[in-house]
Amino acid sequence: MATAGKKEKRVLWIISIPMAILALSCVYPVYFALNNALKDNRGYILDRFGLVQNPTFDNFVQAWTRSNLDTYFLNSVVTTVGAVALLLVVSSLAGFALAVLRFPMRRLIFIVILASLMIPVQVVLVPFYQTIIGLGLLNTRTGLIISYTAFFLPFSVYLMTSFYAGLPRELVEAARIDGAKLIQVWWYVMVPMGRPALITLGILNTLYCWNDVLISLLVLQDQRTLMVGIAALRGEYTTNVPLLSAGIVLAAAPIVILYIIFQRQIVSGIAVGAVKG
Amino acid sequence: MAQIELKDVRKSYGATDVIHGISLEIEQGEFVVFVGPSGCGKSTLLRMIAGLEEISDGDLEIGGKRMNDEEPSDRGVAMVFQSYALYPHMSVADNMSFGLRMTGRPKDEIAEKVSRAASILQLEELLARKPAQLSGGQRQRVAIGRAIVRNPDVFLFDEPLSNLDAELRVQMRVEIAKLHNTLANTMIYVTHDQTEAMTLADRIVVLRAGIVEQVGTPLELYENPDNAFVAGFIGSPRMNFARAKVTGPRAIEVAGVAIALPDLATELATGTEVSFGIRPEHLHAETGVELPITVDVAEQLGSTTYVHGTLATGEVVIAERRGTAPRPRDTVLLHFDPRHARLFDADGMRIR
Repeated sequence: MATAGKKEKRVLWIISIPMAILALSCVYPVYFALNNALKDNRGYILDRFGLVQNPTFDNFVQAWTRSNLDTYFLNSVVTTVGAVALLLVVSSLAGFALAVLRFPMRRLIFIVILASLMIPVQVVLVPFYQTIIGLGLLNTRTGLIISYTAFFLPFSVYLMTSFYAGLPRELVEAARIDGAKLIQVWWYVMVPMGRPALITLGILNTLYCWNDVLISLLVLQDQRTLMVGIAALRGEYTTNVPLLSAGIVLAAAPIVILYIIFQRQIVSGIAVGAVKG
Repeated sequence: MAQIELKDVRKSYGATDVIHGISLEIEQGEFVVFVGPSGCGKSTLLRMIAGLEEISDGDLEIGGKRMNDEEPSDRGVAMVFQSYALYPHMSVADNMSFGLRMTGRPKDEIAEKVSRAASILQLEELLARKPAQLSGGQRQRVAIGRAIVRNPDVFLFDEPLSNLDAELRVQMRVEIAKLHNTLANTMIYVTHDQTEAMTLADRIVVLRAGIVEQVGTPLELYENPDNAFVAGFIGSPRMNFARAKVTGPRAIEVAGVAIALPDLATELATGTEVSFGIRPEHLHAETGVELPITVDVAEQLGSTTYVHGTLATGEVVIAERRGTAPRPRDTVLLHFDPRHARLFDADGMRIR
């Protein structure tokens, strides 16, 4: 028994080494950004990797005010919140229809949505850009909200459809016999029942929208969102790394806070999606 | 006038016919049970009445009005599902009041109806709880409560007791019977359990493969089955069947035993083969025709004993006995009154 225990321990040690390296590789960039955000440019040039000696919040103030991150932040919040809200409403309605209602070409529609999941954004950039211009949505937040919704909708509809398809049909039938209209069935039964999937979708779509650079760069050219703004902090020949670090910390903060609040739901939600999907 | 009328109602999924033209009249206040083995179409028929399945052909009338194309909520029906179908995110009170809230009834009316239904079903203490905090029996009572508050013309029950354990099933069965006495609404009840059908029904509809085999009161079906299927399905343990040879216009021979059937109206053709049926509970008479069997197993249930045995021909027979149980491999003489014998032709149709 004792030898078996030793052997087991050795295996655990061997497994834990690559795990530790993996964990470090995730944590190090966070440490690097936080550490350097608190240095001034001189401090950074003198000692890039050392721990900060005289911490200063100047970089945060400068990034927020002089580099316009406050405006970009607002743009990001408005477009992310708008797109996520729209995505949740539309995908929940579409998932309800595709999973529960019977109508002609239901399967075909679902297959088309699935197929569109497999088309990368880059492939449709040119027609997408022309459409945005054609609709007069260039340089508008509404344009970006609609664009995010369009690009992230297929996955959202797919997830909601498979989640709703896993719910007992009798719930909808009972509500129909009870006299609920279709929209009431959706609001009073499907939305509350779909909560775990909706939370997962909310988190994932928030991440996608918040971190997006490409679509935002195309649609919101004059105004910029936070990620585009941060990317612009990098100079062509030199980069003020402490300022960039402060920008990154500011941009990551809302998502980290959101993650901490919804930690449990995110994990269980992803599991739900995995099993049902 | 019948409250519910089915006129040659059919259901098909593509080329597959599931319900082959059923006509049935159900009177106001009647308790009708659809019974049959799984896949016989009993639940489909109920769902067609509820409006959850489309009717492929034929007419459904409720209260004299054609209902084929009406929404489920406009048919004046309420349904209790096998899986209860309670909304897990709502309290018991919200579950029960859901239908009334959806149709915009005033708040005080809702509260009054919910509290009345809760008192009928003894759910007052549980109104604030969520379905997950209830036992199976309580959940089923809430599901019934949800149906009651809407005060429907017709209650539809789709195997409501199948998910409950045996003891609770008996208890709930009695509660449903009481409920029917109290409310006096029309009730249609689907089950595969013939005991539930026998104990609850005013009339039983026996279905097989989408066809009505027989409609009648429980005792009619028990005493006077139209065919071997109904005879075998109604009654527990099921009726014994054995091959019989016709030896005279009103005489047969079963496993070498001659049986005279003086009450038979039909004259039998000598030499033909028929099927002889007798119920286990009719095999414990003191006198009458003697039928020897070899005992395989005796199941003692306390008040009675079921003796499983075989005839000389090897056919299996179950007999009910009182008193001491015979031992395996014993030969026992069973007695029965020939008036209790039932004969069926080669197609399983009753010979009367």
